[in-house]
Amino acid sequence: MTYLTRKVVLFVITLWAAITLNFALPRLMPGSPVDAALAKLGSSGIPVTNAERHAIEVQLGVPNTGLLSQYGSYLKNIATLNFGTSYSFPSETVAQTIGKALPWTLVLVGVSTIFAFVIGTLLGVYAGWRRGRSADSVVTLGSTLFAAFPPFWLGLLMLYVLAFKWNLFPLKGGYAPGVTPNLSPAFFLDAMSHSVLPGVTLVITALSGWVFGMRNNMINTLGEDYVTFAEANGLRTRTVALMYAARNALLPNVTAFGLSLGAIIGGSVLVEGVFSYPGLGNLLYVAVTNHDFPLMQALFLVITLSMLVAIFVVDLLYVRLDPRIRQ
Amino acid sequence: MNARRYKKSALVCTVAMLTAVGASSCAGSNSSAPGAAGAAGGATSLTIEGDAGNPALVENFNPMQPSSALHGVNLIYEPLEIVSPIDGTFTPFLASGYKFTDPKTLVFTIRQGVKWSDGKPFTAGDVLFTFNLLKKFPALDGNGVWQHMSAISATGTDVTITFKDPNVPFAAVIAQTPMLPEHVWSSVADPVKFTNTKPIGTGPFTLGTFAPTQYALQKNPSYWQANKIVPQQVLFPAQASNQNTNQLDVSSGKFDWAYNFLPNVKTTYVARDPQHNTYWFPPGGTIGLYLNLTKAPYNDVNFRTGISLSLDRTTIANKAVNGYLGQASMSGLILPNLNKWLDPTLANQGLVKQDAAAATAAFAKAGYTMQGGKLVGKDGKQASMSIVMPNNFSDWVAAATEVTNQLKSVGINATSDLPQYAQYSQQIQSGSFNAAMGGFGGTGTPYTDFNNALNSSFAAPVGTSTSNNFERFKSASVDSSLSQLASATDPAAQQVATSALQQEMYTQTPVVLLYYGGSWGLFSTKSFTGWPSASDPYTLPTNYNNALLTVLTHLKKS
Amino acid sequence: MTIATTGPPPLNPGDLAPTKVAKASSLPVSLLFVGRALRTLWSNRKARIGLVILAVVILIAVFAPVLAPYSPTSTNFQPYQSPDATNWFGTTGNGQDVFSQMLYGARISLFVGLAAGTLATLVAVTIGLVTGYRPGVIDEVLSFVTNLALVIPGLPLMIILAAYLSSRSVWTIVLVVSFTSWATGARVIRSQASTLRDREFITSAVFSGERLFRVVFREILPNMTSLVAASFFSAATAAVMAEASLEFLGLGNPNTVSWGTILYFAQQQNALLTGQWVLVFAPGLAIALLAVSFTLINFGVDALSNPRLREK
Repeated sequence: MTYLTRKVVLFVITLWAAITLNFALPRLMPGSPVDAALAKLGSSGIPVTNAERHAIEVQLGVPNTGLLSQYGSYLKNIATLNFGTSYSFPSETVAQTIGKALPWTLVLVGVSTIFAFVIGTLLGVYAGWRRGRSADSVVTLGSTLFAAFPPFWLGLLMLYVLAFKWNLFPLKGGYAPGVTPNLSPAFFLDAMSHSVLPGVTLVITALSGWVFGMRNNMINTLGEDYVTFAEANGLRTRTVALMYAARNALLPNVTAFGLSLGAIIGGSVLVEGVFSYPGLGNLLYVAVTNHDFPLMQALFLVITLSMLVAIFVVDLLYVRLDPRIRQ
Repeated sequence: MNARRYKKSALVCTVAMLTAVGASSCAGSNSSAPGAAGAAGGATSLTIEGDAGNPALVENFNPMQPSSALHGVNLIYEPLEIVSPIDGTFTPFLASGYKFTDPKTLVFTIRQGVKWSDGKPFTAGDVLFTFNLLKKFPALDGNGVWQHMSAISATGTDVTITFKDPNVPFAAVIAQTPMLPEHVWSSVADPVKFTNTKPIGTGPFTLGTFAPTQYALQKNPSYWQANKIVPQQVLFPAQASNQNTNQLDVSSGKFDWAYNFLPNVKTTYVARDPQHNTYWFPPGGTIGLYLNLTKAPYNDVNFRTGISLSLDRTTIANKAVNGYLGQASMSGLILPNLNKWLDPTLANQGLVKQDAAAATAAFAKAGYTMQGGKLVGKDGKQASMSIVMPNNFSDWVAAATEVTNQLKSVGINATSDLPQYAQYSQQIQSGSFNAAMGGFGGTGTPYTDFNNALNSSFAAPVGTSTSNNFERFKSASVDSSLSQLASATDPAAQQVATSALQQEMYTQTPVVLLYYGGSWGLFSTKSFTGWPSASDPYTLPTNYNNALLTVLTHLKKS
Repeated sequence: MTIATTGPPPLNPGDLAPTKVAKASSLPVSLLFVGRALRTLWSNRKARIGLVILAVVILIAVFAPVLAPYSPTSTNFQPYQSPDATNWFGTTGNGQDVFSQMLYGARISLFVGLAAGTLATLVAVTIGLVTGYRPGVIDEVLSFVTNLALVIPGLPLMIILAAYLSSRSVWTIVLVVSFTSWATGARVIRSQASTLRDREFITSAVFSGERLFRVVFREILPNMTSLVAASFFSAATAAVMAEASLEFLGLGNPNTVSWGTILYFAQQQNALLTGQWVLVFAPGLAIALLAVSFTLINFGVDALSNPRLREK
């Protein structure tokens, strides 16, 4: 089996396993989703009457069919992208709710990953090259410290100082209230200004993976024989470091990418909540607090599948970039 | 050299991006102030802290779905009468009056000259249609009107409703049903799922624009009391899913009217604009300690009395609501809202003070005595209590912490149990709980308050689910007082029955009422005055129900 | 030509063993090993900082009852106070002293970090060794499970698991966190184990009849100690951060006092609104420092195993 075929088969099997795991998990949940819907009414302390409870039960349809038939219809629904109706947003389908939030998360996560990759790699090259000197210590200690900041904590502090006290950035949302998302440049700038704080938070906390990956690669590469050989031939260390070492070390490390993406996605769940950013992470938090079966199931699936696809794509890229793999 | 250029160009790109973003952010933050013509001094636009966005609003103006419809629906549709949640007085809207011809027959006189926002006249036929729609689609009947109604008919300008059993107080529920236009809704295939994005109503406002983060209502010029409506536009910017951000927004003065609990409201809100920022936190409901009356020793009235006398409710209220509200009266009435119904023979307005000696005597009558710091029963075991409540109702949690501390000092082994709302709900409804925190009352109508909590018809056996009377209280004398109140048409008879219920509440202690839960009204008088306040308590400051309509008819320009 | 000396007489062959080493060491091997490891770590500057921070946190956690001026849960103080002479870090909305909470909170945060780290490492080592040493069906299946666990995003999975579990104890968090953090370590250990599997000393051990158990635990495992240690510290770092995140979301036990619950209540009671930024700043910084200390120690461990990374 060639590398490519093997990767595709693995992808399909992992896809199936993730889908099945996603089905099993929500079934372990205690409590009734109807009560979660009534929680919204009851949160002021005014008791909920029997009549209201009955009306909501009729409306929300509590599941009471057998497990195997549920699995069958689950698979069928996945295939037709039918994720049902959510209890938190009963006026639209889950697919629609997720569809509205997905672009925001994709953009935020995607752009943050790219920024983290670029900045982290550059810093890592610098640190590896200047190894042992103060610059190296500053970069490594700095990125270690940043990685240890809980993303939501950093987000809270930035929200308080930059948005609330100094009014430099908006306090919440993906765009200004009253505006309908459109494709105009004004909207684009507005959306960008709303994504600066969450984006910066995510980038800062995700840097260290790239910094250290690159730094270690640089150090290993600089210890290689061909580098010594090049130096012996008279090339300056700096030329060698950048022309040979950095380029070879730059080969995207699939595992590192996967871990970094996982960290950013995980971080985005909390960061989107802190900034009320209208993405998938925010929806996940809402779904969990509402015990919202359809929404939670669908979100977890979408998030896992996005990661799978992203890693698969990088895997394929890796084949193109690294000739050693092709054999 | 190449790599160096790559590195340089990458840096240049990054810097360029950051500059662009920085520039846009300055522009962005200016344009992001919501309703710039609103709280910032715009003369005719009213900005109300809107619905929870989660984070985007879903467009739904179906008034029969109160849990999914947007709050603005209360300014588009009107009911026959609005009942004050403070003291139960009726204010006529689409009905110009009502009367009971006998305790089972209710007649509304329909107001003449009212038009729907599309120009068609509002008639008794619409009223008939609305109630029959609720009968046809029980999922829409959230208040259960057809559990008490048996028939409805119209003659001329009168609509007659017959009940299955005498139930005078239920008129409040029936009167507050929003009226739907027959000529629009009769062609709707599934009104249960209908989101009604082009609402036609009789109310003072119509839908202007809708965006996922804010919707705007425009004044309806042909509204039947248009001269009373001052704002030309009402904006509802969506709340964030993050409650903290909402509080920060309120504190920044973005709204004319917000409903939000703010800690230290004098510093965090009033001080920010002392000339215009005001607040009013009246009691909106009562929070109490419910004991499972199917279990010993809670089924012994002496034990319950002992608990009630052991508690220092003032401290509990302080811990729970930071001094905004005080101790609750054991009459079961919210005071001062329902002062007019208060039984004057009740000692000290029904406020029970901590009295250790009396508590000890009560416990002794129940067979419990202090032995070595523990309250021990006849079986030799220490009294213990586990109080359940949802872990995110922070004032309940704070109150319960104080309650458990106080009970521990009288020798009861009291603990808190903090599951999520779903498990809490399951425990109380199935009757498997020990003790629980819960809400009591707050409808403005004493009958409904007492009935929901004490009517034995709701007391399902343990294992069968019930939302009302989940403590499973059964008393023939209370049931008889309730049905007397249900069929009383004149105020004197109503007072007799209400006083009897208060006495039962006070002496039987079916629920240990603790403190009043607040209704968190925050206002700015920059553009409008006439907000409800302690000196003018015409309604509760809730901006998510028909109090919206009441307040909007009271506002004046400042 | 011999030089006349007054030095000691030449040794006889029988006297070759120096007498001072004749007494066998009375300390167990493992303690010596730990001692040696600590000394090596100490020589690495970054790891030294990490060890110091960790030691401080451990001391705070152990001596919290002595150091804290008040009980962390008593609600006797005026709520929403800014830092003043009585309450150095101010008070919560419930009237609790934040400084005492910070000191006691070290216990839970440290405990979860170390417990979850240990549990995750145990699972990782077991699975890593099994899959690395025995190619075949079991290896394929377990490798697949490991890869699946790597791909599934950790925090969303933790959130969902924590939301489902009805009990709200510290052990819930430990279990949930361990369940999601073992995969990275397992993969690393697996690759190292499969490399070692083909080395001569292993082959000779197998040929000389050593049983599987002994081969794995006495021959392979000691060669992977730095990997196991690295895996433990990574898992501990992740655990500390994850505990903070879960508590912050309210998925932990609000009755316990940990740095994460301080942040949770700071959020619930909007400490930023009331101007009490210390309630947000202090626990977050503490969490960051603890996580940093684990990572710094990990630098030292890395340097142990990869000589190229050792500081010159």
